[in-house]
Amino acid sequence: MTQRMQEISQLDRVIHEPARLAIMLILGGVGEADFLYLQREGGFTQGNLSGHLAKLEEAGYVVIEKKFKGKVPLTVCSLTGKGMTAFAKYSNRMLGLLQPNGSTGSSRP
Amino acid sequence: MKDNLAITGPSPGHRAASYWFVDGLPDIVLGVTLLIFGAAGLWWCVHRPKPSPAHEFFVVAIGLCFFFWKGRPLIDLLKSRLTYPRTGYARPPEDLSELGLPNALTALSLKPWPKRDENVTHFLTRTTMVVLWWCFFALNLNPWSRWYTLLAPAALAVALYAWNRRSEHPYRWWSALLLALIGPALLWLDLSPLLQPLLMPLLAGAWLATEGACVLVHYLRANPSSRAAEGVRA
Repeated sequence: MTQRMQEISQLDRVIHEPARLAIMLILGGVGEADFLYLQREGGFTQGNLSGHLAKLEEAGYVVIEKKFKGKVPLTVCSLTGKGMTAFAKYSNRMLGLLQPNGSTGSSRP
Repeated sequence: MKDNLAITGPSPGHRAASYWFVDGLPDIVLGVTLLIFGAAGLWWCVHRPKPSPAHEFFVVAIGLCFFFWKGRPLIDLLKSRLTYPRTGYARPPEDLSELGLPNALTALSLKPWPKRDENVTHFLTRTTMVVLWWCFFALNLNPWSRWYTLLAPAALAVALYAWNRRSEHPYRWWSALLLALIGPALLWLDLSPLLQPLLMPLLAGAWLATEGACVLVHYLRANPSSRAAEGVRA
């Protein structure tokens, strides 16, 4: 098995799923967002988003909190430190894998 | 040759920054602040034995300081009633100075990753400060001439349109044109030269509030029902 193939097999499967990747990307750019915003931005159904958020929360990448804005309750999601690190590692690895010369993100200086 | 693999379009952070202006509330709050303090300044100015536009500028400047201080919490409160139940909540953008740094703390700390520095807005510098400087010059030009009446609203329209054109909160060209046309309209009304500079903050406020109100009406029509997303827990 080449090093590149090994790198592919080591990709974080929790993030690698497109819907979860979209959630991580949105939360990474926004900082924090509520369920409705994520649903509209990502084009998810309620059940779909709930399922993916549950998996990300289970992995410790996302934290889901009940907050109040004025008197309005909101379910706010944000990335945890672990989630940010995992996302950074994942995107570095992916960028490395997609380079034609085959140098992986983890082997960069 | 165009690179089809390149990711184009706004990033999630930039979209979130634009989302802050989707309901027109920042413009409405700034416009109403200018209207209230501009009217108070005008009233104070005309009731003094020796009226001076500097007095009105003083009151308008207090109003804009109030906006700097309390504008953000007020907008957030209004959004929690109007916007968040309809289209959701995203973290409000940080105010970005023209130096390119969200705030001093960010400048002193390491750059966060993933990039959060795209969820930023130039509203305070490219709209509020532009209006403040414009009011300062408009109210301190002495003597006030017909040329100033014609050019002052046009100058504000060009500044707001050009500076915000590629930002997260661009103004529509026809809206800016309407602001520019206020000058000829005032000339046609032929008001007293003393009153014309005093009306400028009020006109700017009225334009901002109307601009925001149009956006708000469009937003409310596009998102009529308050869809409660609560109760859905991952």
